[in-house]
Amino acid sequence: MSDPAHNEPPEAAQATSAQVTPAQATPAPAADATPLLEARGVTRSYGNVAALAGVDLQVRPGEVVGLVGDNGAGKSTLLKILCGAVQPSAGQLLVNGEPVTFRSPKDSRERGIEVVYQDLALATELSVAENIFLGRERRRPGPFRLLDRPRMAREAEAALESLAIEIHSVRARCGLLSGGQRQAVAVARAVLWGSNVLLLDEPTAALAVMESEKIGQLVAQVAKRQVGVVLVSHNMPQVHALCDRIVVLLRGRVVADLRRDETDVQDIVMWITGAALSRN
Amino acid sequence: MSSPLRHDVQGGGTAPDSRTEELALEAADQKRSDERERRLARRRRFIEQVQGEGLILVLIVVFVLMWISSPFFFTQQNLLTAASVISVLGVMAVAETLLVISGEIDISIGSVMASTSVLMGVMVGQGLNVWLTAVIGLLFAAGVGVVNGIITVYFKINSLVTTLGTYSIFLGVAYAISNTATVSIGGSGFQVLGSGKVGSIPVPVFFFLGLWLIGLLVARFTALGRHIYATGDSYDAAVRSGIQANMLRMGLFIATALSAGLAGVITTSELGSAAPQIGDPYLLSVVTAVILGGASLRGGRGTMLGTLVAVAILGVLQNGFALLQFSTYLEDTVLGSLLIIAVLTDRLVRRAER
Repeated sequence: MSDPAHNEPPEAAQATSAQVTPAQATPAPAADATPLLEARGVTRSYGNVAALAGVDLQVRPGEVVGLVGDNGAGKSTLLKILCGAVQPSAGQLLVNGEPVTFRSPKDSRERGIEVVYQDLALATELSVAENIFLGRERRRPGPFRLLDRPRMAREAEAALESLAIEIHSVRARCGLLSGGQRQAVAVARAVLWGSNVLLLDEPTAALAVMESEKIGQLVAQVAKRQVGVVLVSHNMPQVHALCDRIVVLLRGRVVADLRRDETDVQDIVMWITGAALSRN
Repeated sequence: MSSPLRHDVQGGGTAPDSRTEELALEAADQKRSDERERRLARRRRFIEQVQGEGLILVLIVVFVLMWISSPFFFTQQNLLTAASVISVLGVMAVAETLLVISGEIDISIGSVMASTSVLMGVMVGQGLNVWLTAVIGLLFAAGVGVVNGIITVYFKINSLVTTLGTYSIFLGVAYAISNTATVSIGGSGFQVLGSGKVGSIPVPVFFFLGLWLIGLLVARFTALGRHIYATGDSYDAAVRSGIQANMLRMGLFIATALSAGLAGVITTSELGSAAPQIGDPYLLSVVTAVILGGASLRGGRGTMLGTLVAVAILGVLQNGFALLQFSTYLEDTVLGSLLIIAVLTDRLVRRAER
């Protein structure tokens, strides 16, 4: 703490915070563009309980959509349906306006949809590069199809560099990285393969403040590449800061679809709790 | 350092001191986490040295001790015999290592070995060609692997329990069918598998080293190998990455049982007879070799080199005990102690990394 190098003047801190506010960084996505990913009337029932009842959702190129709601509102079910881990009982998914059926996450991945899971789904014993290429390893030609480690290392380095993620070596084991670095690796993996849509499930729940701000910058950067982002989070200030639109789920239904500039944190919370419904 | 997460801090003008202080705190935080990372990396390297070079050192010490203790130990004849004996264990240890890395275990191999041998004996008694009975024996072993795999993977039963059950089942079958009797098996040049030599090197050694090289290739240089490690390390991560983790474990159960069948065939050939007792020494020793070699019971860790060294250590011990005419019961005691030490080491490794 006594290290003078870390004591930045407050003015500098203010300047940094202005730079990374994504509102200025990303141009507002065109509202009329064909959605990269769309859900129409998606319903999912477990027995007699409807986890989701006729949910509509669109994600357009370069758009960051926040998906919020109380526990049990249907956020994670919707996310699982969007990535093919769960199949809807009724309703339709469209990718680039084209109807699709996802039987497993494999199908959605082939359409350029990637998920960053809450637990990150990283193998701690494998290296950063190995994790980024897990299940999609680069191999050498030849009868044995042996691993092409140098190529994977190169491509992993390039992917991390393009997102300004600092990790000293892609050969480092993931188990030795800090929480934020692991998160960054998981995001980089998703970005590398997710050409279309990125689904983020509580990306900053377990992170230190500084690290979660870094993830916020990553999300803004990804959106700049015209990738659609769906962000599930309980962190309302973060959702409000990062998302162009905020979709509120309540008991399996979409109760509000708010534009960032027309709402604030308190308003979102009122919609989540249902207080906004009785207000009108 | 953006403001969104800091909505409670309103602008630099109103609270510059608290902002500065927070930045300093965060920097200190970052420094702490960097330090922790470095510390973990150091520990990890140390542990890898203990499990790698340390194990080789143990092998050298044991080797030299035996050399000093018995004039018969360091002779070409004795070392080749020891290599042949330990190769049967090694054949099974290769597949078992991959299975343990994938997060499962198979302790039924000893009884699969025995029942394969007894089955061959029965079929030879019916007048079948001995080579044909060996093939049928291997198919039977693969079948046991399928049973182990289905119960463990698809009914999600702990593999230790599953294979303890199948161990008992097939050992019982082996003793019941054979009536504990030994059946003579030979002819058609069958003894070459167990007693044959290429130059002066016994044939079983080639089976072991051949399988070991395949194991090394798979573990280190193929996508399949990465998938095995990932499955044992984090099953969910593997599945979400599109890896068919269940099929993979199923395949490894079959490979392990098949290698036990092969070990049964080799031993039957070597002894020239089928007997239900032949699997007894392997109940503990294979698993001990694999764990001693650094494979973790929790999956995700282990190396082929470690298994090779551990197999060699057990080989030297076994051979040395025989030469020094120690009681075979003492051998069991040492084996059990090694297993406990190996598991404890693994446990301490895990603890050190937290």
